[in-house]
Amino acid sequence: MSTRSRFILATLCALVLAGIVHIVTVRAIPYFAEGDAFSLARKSESLDHPLRIHSLAVPGTPTPPQGWLPVPDPAVAVGVCAYDLDDGPMRVSARVSSLNLSIAVHGRKGAFYAVTDQAAVRGSLDLVIMTRAQFDEALASADENQVNRDVRIVAPEREGFAVVRVIAGLPSQNAMANEAVDAVSCSIDAPDEPTDANAKPDG
Amino acid sequence: MNALSRIMTGAIGARTRRAPAHTDESLGERSARIGGILGGFLRRTSRTGFVLYALALGAALGLASADFATSGGYPVGGTTIGAWTAWAKTGAVDADPYSRAVNARRGEIPLAIGEGLLLTAATDDAGRRLDAACTYAVGGAVPPARAWTLAIGGRGAVDPATKPIREAFTSTEVLREADDRFVITIGQEVQSGNWLPMPHPRGPVRLALRLYDTPVAASVGSLDRSTVPAITRLGCK
Repeated sequence: MSTRSRFILATLCALVLAGIVHIVTVRAIPYFAEGDAFSLARKSESLDHPLRIHSLAVPGTPTPPQGWLPVPDPAVAVGVCAYDLDDGPMRVSARVSSLNLSIAVHGRKGAFYAVTDQAAVRGSLDLVIMTRAQFDEALASADENQVNRDVRIVAPEREGFAVVRVIAGLPSQNAMANEAVDAVSCSIDAPDEPTDANAKPDG
Repeated sequence: MNALSRIMTGAIGARTRRAPAHTDESLGERSARIGGILGGFLRRTSRTGFVLYALALGAALGLASADFATSGGYPVGGTTIGAWTAWAKTGAVDADPYSRAVNARRGEIPLAIGEGLLLTAATDDAGRRLDAACTYAVGGAVPPARAWTLAIGGRGAVDPATKPIREAFTSTEVLREADDRFVITIGQEVQSGNWLPMPHPRGPVRLALRLYDTPVAASVGSLDRSTVPAITRLGCK
């Protein structure tokens, strides 16, 4: 084998290798990224309401701090609630107001559920995000005579985050939109048989 | 002790052997000898050398192309409708790996299919790049949605000191004509009606139309040119 053909062979091998490295890198980026929404949303895990990541400017108040969304919609207030289903099912409840509200539930791979306030029953929207095991448990222990208005969603993964978006149609509704994001509650659903230790209100 | 003495004699022997080479050789002999050593080295290590070359080139090309493909906007996954591109699946669980990588690198939370749809435009209807030095009329129809916003953005962060007075129109605040249609004029100069100022004095700009709570997110293929706003260039400075 001459040096020249060796060189060509080595270059071809390099191109194939480059393709493999390219595919592996692109697929690995979401798992190693530190500035992605999944990692940044973790900060909201200890809160019982969404962490506002894009606030709308309200005249007369200090300018809201810049969130980390790269190109946010200037007319939409955004908040995130991170969950870890090991702590128990996550309950996201929102009251319907005159503003358009939507809740999307994201896992590491992307959004697996989204709902808007049009799905609300009697003015409130209750989402319960749970694992398959927690879902089966809730079904098994459900009271037949009790009407349940919760929207139950089985999450594909243990960790994720819910995104609350409220649209301010007019600049005068900016303050209301910010408040509507904060008014959503994100709480860990208490077990069905609360003991004194974990019966403390968490939502 | 024995080992130490052997090392010492070895070191002395090496020094005595090398010493004449430095003193007796002429320049030509030395270069020939170096060439011979180099050739022998290449012959002996050519396989290793080519493997190293292939590994280095493969890694460099792979990493550079992956960085290039995920550093800007979404490289694939959009549906083109006239001047607009609809990004329906960038937030879904079955999004393509490039969209997921772009989202992860930018910290973006894309709209989910049940939530809304993002459409972007970087050119006008004639295919010319949107430029901050020009004036555009954007108007006509908008796909069915409960609410929409039309925002403008340029490259890079907006300086807070020169932040434009308006960055977007919402479906609630846009002024409509008698037939429910609307025209938004985008330009540097103040205009009557719906005026959206340019975010930068010069350079390329982009439009983002976000439809909220829209049935078309699940059927982007049903959109055509007549259902999205037309972008017409009115003139340039």
